[in-house]
Amino acid sequence: MPLSELELIRQAQRGDERAFTRLVSHYESLVYGFAFKVCRDKELASETWQDTFVNVYRKLHQFDGRSKFTTWLYTIVVNNCRMKRRKSKLEVASVSIEAPGGFHDTRGTDDEGRGAQTTIPPWKETPLDAVMHSELKGVLDSAIQKLPMDYRIVFILRDVEGLSAEETGRILKLSVPAVKSRLRRARVFLRERLNPYMTT
Amino acid sequence: MHRIHRHTANCRNVAKHVQEQLDYGLSSGAYRKIKEHLERCPKCTAYLDSLKKTVFLYQRYPDPHVPKRMRQRLFAVLNLH
Ligand SMILES: [Zn+2]
Repeated sequence: MPLSELELIRQAQRGDERAFTRLVSHYESLVYGFAFKVCRDKELASETWQDTFVNVYRKLHQFDGRSKFTTWLYTIVVNNCRMKRRKSKLEVASVSIEAPGGFHDTRGTDDEGRGAQTTIPPWKETPLDAVMHSELKGVLDSAIQKLPMDYRIVFILRDVEGLSAEETGRILKLSVPAVKSRLRRARVFLRERLNPYMTT
Repeated sequence: MHRIHRHTANCRNVAKHVQEQLDYGLSSGAYRKIKEHLERCPKCTAYLDSLKKTVFLYQRYPDPHVPKRMRQRLFAVLNLH
Protein backbone atom coordinates (compact mmCIF):
# COMPACT_ATOMS: atom_id res chain seq x y z
CA MET A 1 0.00 0.00 0.00
CA PRO A 2 1.49 3.37 -0.96
CA LEU A 3 2.19 5.68 1.96
CA SER A 4 -0.25 8.30 0.75
CA GLU A 5 -2.97 5.66 0.73
CA LEU A 6 -2.25 4.64 4.30
CA GLU A 7 -2.24 8.31 5.22
CA LEU A 8 -5.65 8.73 3.57
CA ILE A 9 -6.98 5.80 5.59
CA ARG A 10 -5.54 7.26 8.79
CA GLN A 11 -7.16 10.62 8.07
CA ALA A 12 -10.48 8.90 7.45
CA GLN A 13 -10.02 6.95 10.68
CA ARG A 14 -9.60 10.24 12.52
CA GLY A 15 -12.98 11.31 11.18
CA ASP A 16 -11.93 13.36 8.16
CA GLU A 17 -15.00 13.19 5.92
CA ARG A 18 -13.18 14.27 2.78
CA ALA A 19 -10.61 11.54 3.27
CA PHE A 20 -13.43 9.04 3.58
CA THR A 21 -15.16 10.20 0.41
CA ARG A 22 -11.84 9.97 -1.42
CA LEU A 23 -11.43 6.45 -0.12
CA VAL A 24 -14.88 5.64 -1.51
CA SER A 25 -13.96 6.99 -4.92
CA HIS A 26 -10.75 4.94 -4.93
CA TYR A 27 -12.51 1.68 -4.18
CA GLU A 28 -16.08 2.08 -5.40
CA SER A 29 -15.45 0.31 -8.72
CA LEU A 30 -13.64 -2.59 -7.12
CA VAL A 31 -16.50 -3.16 -4.67
CA TYR A 32 -19.28 -2.69 -7.22
CA GLY A 33 -17.54 -4.82 -9.83
CA PHE A 34 -16.96 -7.62 -7.37
CA ALA A 35 -20.52 -7.51 -6.00
CA PHE A 36 -21.90 -7.59 -9.53
CA LYS A 37 -19.70 -10.52 -10.52
CA VAL A 38 -20.99 -12.45 -7.55
CA CYS A 39 -24.71 -11.73 -7.80
CA ARG A 40 -25.02 -10.88 -11.56
CA ASP A 41 -27.72 -8.34 -10.75
CA LYS A 42 -27.15 -4.57 -10.74
CA GLU A 43 -29.80 -3.78 -8.14
CA LEU A 44 -28.49 -6.39 -5.74
CA ALA A 45 -24.91 -5.31 -6.42
CA SER A 46 -25.86 -1.73 -5.67
CA GLU A 47 -27.39 -2.69 -2.30
CA THR A 48 -24.33 -4.79 -1.48
CA TRP A 49 -22.11 -1.88 -2.46
CA GLN A 50 -23.91 0.48 -0.10
CA ASP A 51 -23.94 -1.99 2.80
CA THR A 52 -20.22 -2.53 2.28
CA PHE A 53 -19.30 1.14 2.48
CA VAL A 54 -21.59 1.69 5.46
CA ASN A 55 -19.65 -1.14 7.16
CA VAL A 56 -16.35 0.39 6.08
CA TYR A 57 -17.39 3.74 7.54
CA ARG A 58 -18.40 2.20 10.86
CA LYS A 59 -15.54 -0.29 11.16
CA LEU A 60 -12.68 1.66 9.68
CA HIS A 61 -11.11 2.14 13.12
CA GLN A 62 -10.68 -1.67 13.24
CA PHE A 63 -8.39 -1.68 10.24
CA ASP A 64 -4.89 -1.84 11.68
CA GLY A 65 -2.84 -1.63 8.50
CA ARG A 66 -1.21 -5.00 8.98
CA SER A 67 -3.06 -6.58 6.07
CA LYS A 68 -3.59 -4.95 2.73
CA PHE A 69 -6.55 -2.60 2.74
CA THR A 70 -8.07 -4.47 -0.22
CA THR A 71 -7.90 -7.77 1.70
CA TRP A 72 -9.87 -6.14 4.51
CA LEU A 73 -12.30 -4.61 2.01
CA TYR A 74 -12.88 -7.90 0.18
CA THR A 75 -13.64 -9.58 3.50
CA ILE A 76 -16.41 -7.07 4.12
CA VAL A 77 -17.90 -7.21 0.64
CA VAL A 78 -17.77 -11.02 0.63
CA ASN A 79 -19.76 -11.09 3.88
CA ASN A 80 -22.31 -8.73 2.43
CA CYS A 81 -22.64 -10.80 -0.73
CA ARG A 82 -23.33 -13.86 1.38
CA MET A 83 -25.94 -12.09 3.48
CA LYS A 84 -27.58 -10.44 0.52
CA ARG A 85 -27.95 -13.45 -1.64
CA ARG A 86 -31.43 -14.47 -2.41
CA LYS A 87 -32.07 -18.12 -1.88
CA SER A 88 -31.74 -18.74 -5.53
CA LYS A 89 -33.51 -21.72 -6.94
CA LEU A 90 -30.91 -21.74 -9.67
CA GLU A 91 -28.07 -22.45 -7.31
CA VAL A 92 -27.48 -26.17 -7.11
CA ALA A 93 -27.18 -27.78 -3.70
CA SER A 94 -23.65 -27.72 -2.32
CA VAL A 95 -23.92 -31.45 -1.78
CA SER A 96 -23.98 -32.14 -5.47
CA ILE A 97 -20.82 -30.16 -6.17
CA GLU A 98 -18.92 -32.01 -3.44
CA ALA A 99 -19.95 -35.44 -4.58
CA PRO A 100 -18.04 -37.00 -7.44
CA GLY A 101 -20.32 -36.96 -10.40
CA GLY A 102 -21.97 -33.77 -9.28
CA PHE A 103 -20.92 -31.93 -12.36
CA HIS A 104 -22.26 -33.98 -15.14
CA ASP A 105 -24.64 -36.56 -16.34
CA THR A 106 -24.41 -40.19 -15.35
CA ARG A 107 -22.69 -41.68 -18.34
CA GLY A 108 -19.21 -43.04 -17.66
CA THR A 109 -17.28 -40.02 -16.54
CA ASP A 110 -14.17 -39.43 -14.54
CA ASP A 111 -14.06 -37.10 -11.56
CA GLU A 112 -13.17 -34.09 -13.63
CA GLY A 113 -16.52 -34.40 -15.27
CA ARG A 114 -15.38 -35.67 -18.60
CA GLY A 115 -16.90 -38.52 -20.48
CA ALA A 116 -14.41 -41.34 -20.24
CA GLN A 117 -15.37 -42.82 -23.58
CA THR A 118 -16.77 -39.87 -25.44
CA THR A 119 -14.77 -37.39 -27.44
CA ILE A 120 -14.48 -33.79 -26.38
CA PRO A 121 -15.84 -31.45 -28.99
CA PRO A 122 -13.61 -28.43 -29.49
CA TRP A 123 -14.92 -25.07 -28.33
CA LYS A 124 -15.51 -22.29 -30.77
CA GLU A 125 -13.20 -19.31 -30.72
CA THR A 126 -13.91 -16.87 -27.93
CA PRO A 127 -14.97 -13.47 -29.19
CA LEU A 128 -12.17 -10.97 -29.49
CA ASP A 129 -14.34 -8.02 -30.44
CA ALA A 130 -14.49 -5.25 -27.90
CA VAL A 131 -18.13 -5.68 -26.97
CA MET A 132 -19.28 -8.95 -25.53
CA HIS A 133 -22.71 -9.60 -26.93
CA SER A 134 -25.68 -9.96 -24.65
CA GLU A 135 -26.47 -13.56 -25.54
CA LEU A 136 -23.04 -14.67 -24.36
CA LYS A 137 -23.34 -12.50 -21.25
CA GLY A 138 -26.63 -14.22 -20.50
CA VAL A 139 -25.02 -17.65 -20.84
CA LEU A 140 -22.16 -16.64 -18.51
CA ASP A 141 -24.56 -15.12 -15.96
CA SER A 142 -26.81 -18.12 -15.87
CA ALA A 143 -23.94 -20.60 -15.56
CA ILE A 144 -22.30 -18.83 -12.63
CA GLN A 145 -25.60 -18.26 -10.84
CA LYS A 146 -25.99 -22.02 -10.59
CA LEU A 147 -22.62 -22.35 -8.90
CA PRO A 148 -22.89 -22.48 -5.08
CA MET A 149 -21.93 -19.17 -3.49
CA ASP A 150 -18.74 -20.33 -1.77
CA TYR A 151 -17.34 -21.74 -5.01
CA ARG A 152 -18.45 -18.72 -6.97
CA ILE A 153 -16.58 -16.39 -4.64
CA VAL A 154 -13.38 -18.45 -4.87
CA PHE A 155 -13.58 -18.51 -8.66
CA ILE A 156 -14.10 -14.75 -8.88
CA LEU A 157 -11.38 -13.85 -6.39
CA ARG A 158 -8.80 -16.16 -7.96
CA ASP A 159 -9.53 -16.31 -11.66
CA VAL A 160 -11.30 -13.02 -12.31
CA GLU A 161 -9.88 -10.62 -9.72
CA GLY A 162 -6.50 -12.33 -9.91
CA LEU A 163 -5.84 -12.69 -6.17
CA SER A 164 -3.39 -15.31 -4.96
CA ALA A 165 -4.61 -18.52 -3.33
CA GLU A 166 -3.05 -17.29 -0.08
CA GLU A 167 -4.93 -13.99 -0.08
CA THR A 168 -8.17 -15.70 -1.12
CA GLY A 169 -7.68 -18.10 1.78
CA ARG A 170 -7.17 -15.20 4.21
CA ILE A 171 -10.36 -13.50 3.00
CA LEU A 172 -12.48 -16.64 3.19
CA LYS A 173 -10.71 -18.21 6.18
CA LEU A 174 -9.88 -21.27 4.11
CA SER A 175 -6.65 -23.20 3.77
CA VAL A 176 -4.77 -22.92 0.49
CA PRO A 177 -5.56 -26.56 -0.46
CA ALA A 178 -9.27 -25.85 0.18
CA VAL A 179 -9.07 -22.78 -2.07
CA LYS A 180 -7.40 -24.83 -4.80
CA SER A 181 -9.91 -27.64 -4.60
CA ARG A 182 -12.88 -25.27 -4.76
CA LEU A 183 -11.34 -23.41 -7.64
CA ARG A 184 -10.87 -26.62 -9.63
CA ARG A 185 -14.43 -27.71 -9.02
CA ALA A 186 -15.79 -24.29 -9.85
CA ARG A 187 -13.97 -24.20 -13.18
CA VAL A 188 -15.12 -27.68 -14.11
CA PHE A 189 -18.68 -26.82 -13.14
CA LEU A 190 -18.70 -23.64 -15.24
CA ARG A 191 -17.00 -25.38 -18.12
CA GLU A 192 -19.73 -28.03 -18.15
CA ARG A 193 -22.44 -25.37 -18.12
CA LEU A 194 -20.87 -23.42 -20.99
CA ASN A 195 -20.09 -26.52 -22.99
CA PRO A 196 -23.38 -26.80 -24.91
CA TYR A 197 -23.22 -23.17 -25.95
CA MET A 198 -19.54 -23.24 -26.89
CA THR A 199 -19.74 -26.38 -29.01
CA THR A 200 -22.75 -25.52 -31.17
CA MET B 1 1.27 -34.22 -6.30
CA HIS B 2 0.57 -37.44 -8.12
CA ARG B 3 3.41 -38.67 -10.23
CA ILE B 4 2.73 -39.00 -13.88
CA HIS B 5 4.69 -41.82 -15.40
CA ARG B 6 5.11 -41.81 -19.06
CA HIS B 7 3.40 -45.13 -19.55
CA THR B 8 0.75 -44.77 -16.90
CA ALA B 9 -0.23 -41.17 -17.54
CA ASN B 10 -3.91 -41.21 -18.12
CA CYS B 11 -6.36 -38.50 -18.98
CA ARG B 12 -7.65 -38.33 -15.44
CA ASN B 13 -4.25 -37.57 -13.95
CA VAL B 14 -3.57 -35.10 -16.66
CA ALA B 15 -6.82 -33.24 -15.98
CA LYS B 16 -5.68 -32.59 -12.43
CA HIS B 17 -2.24 -31.44 -13.44
CA VAL B 18 -3.60 -29.32 -16.20
CA GLN B 19 -5.47 -27.29 -13.59
CA GLU B 20 -2.35 -26.84 -11.51
CA GLN B 21 -0.57 -25.80 -14.62
CA LEU B 22 -3.25 -23.13 -15.12
CA ASP B 23 -2.66 -21.90 -11.58
CA TYR B 24 0.99 -21.97 -10.77
CA GLY B 25 2.97 -23.62 -13.46
CA LEU B 26 4.48 -27.02 -12.79
CA SER B 27 7.97 -28.27 -12.20
CA SER B 28 9.66 -28.80 -15.51
CA GLY B 29 9.56 -32.60 -15.17
CA ALA B 30 5.84 -32.78 -14.56
CA TYR B 31 5.23 -30.16 -17.19
CA ARG B 32 7.15 -32.15 -19.80
CA LYS B 33 5.09 -35.27 -19.08
CA ILE B 34 1.86 -33.35 -19.40
CA LYS B 35 3.05 -31.78 -22.60
CA GLU B 36 3.90 -35.17 -23.99
CA HIS B 37 0.47 -36.43 -23.08
CA LEU B 38 -1.25 -33.39 -24.57
CA GLU B 39 0.65 -33.83 -27.80
CA ARG B 40 -0.84 -37.26 -28.36
CA CYS B 41 -4.23 -36.77 -26.69
CA PRO B 42 -6.73 -34.55 -28.51
CA LYS B 43 -9.25 -35.08 -25.71
CA CYS B 44 -7.07 -33.52 -23.04
CA THR B 45 -6.00 -30.78 -25.42
CA ALA B 46 -9.61 -29.88 -26.15
CA TYR B 47 -10.41 -30.05 -22.46
CA LEU B 48 -7.57 -27.75 -21.44
CA ASP B 49 -8.55 -25.32 -24.17
CA SER B 50 -12.15 -25.26 -22.94
CA LEU B 51 -11.06 -24.65 -19.34
CA LYS B 52 -8.84 -21.77 -20.43
CA LYS B 53 -11.69 -20.30 -22.45
CA THR B 54 -14.06 -20.60 -19.50
CA VAL B 55 -11.74 -18.49 -17.36
CA PHE B 56 -11.02 -16.10 -20.21
CA LEU B 57 -14.69 -15.42 -20.90
CA TYR B 58 -15.41 -14.49 -17.29
CA GLN B 59 -12.33 -12.27 -17.24
CA ARG B 60 -13.55 -10.46 -20.33
CA TYR B 61 -17.05 -9.85 -19.04
CA PRO B 62 -17.12 -6.06 -18.70
CA ASP B 63 -17.43 -4.42 -15.28
CA PRO B 64 -20.47 -2.20 -14.76
CA HIS B 65 -19.69 1.40 -13.88
CA VAL B 66 -20.77 2.94 -10.61
CA PRO B 67 -23.81 5.19 -11.11
CA LYS B 68 -23.50 8.66 -9.55
CA ARG B 69 -26.75 8.25 -7.65
CA MET B 70 -25.29 5.34 -5.68
CA ARG B 71 -22.59 7.57 -4.26
CA GLN B 72 -25.10 10.31 -3.48
CA ARG B 73 -27.36 7.84 -1.71
CA LEU B 74 -24.46 6.47 0.35
CA PHE B 75 -23.31 9.91 1.46
CA ALA B 76 -26.90 10.79 2.35
CA VAL B 77 -27.24 7.63 4.43
CA LEU B 78 -24.00 8.44 6.26
CA ASN B 79 -24.82 12.13 6.58
CA LEU B 80 -21.78 13.18 4.58
CA HIS B 81 -21.54 15.52 1.65
ZN1 LIG C 1 -5.63 -37.38 -22.34
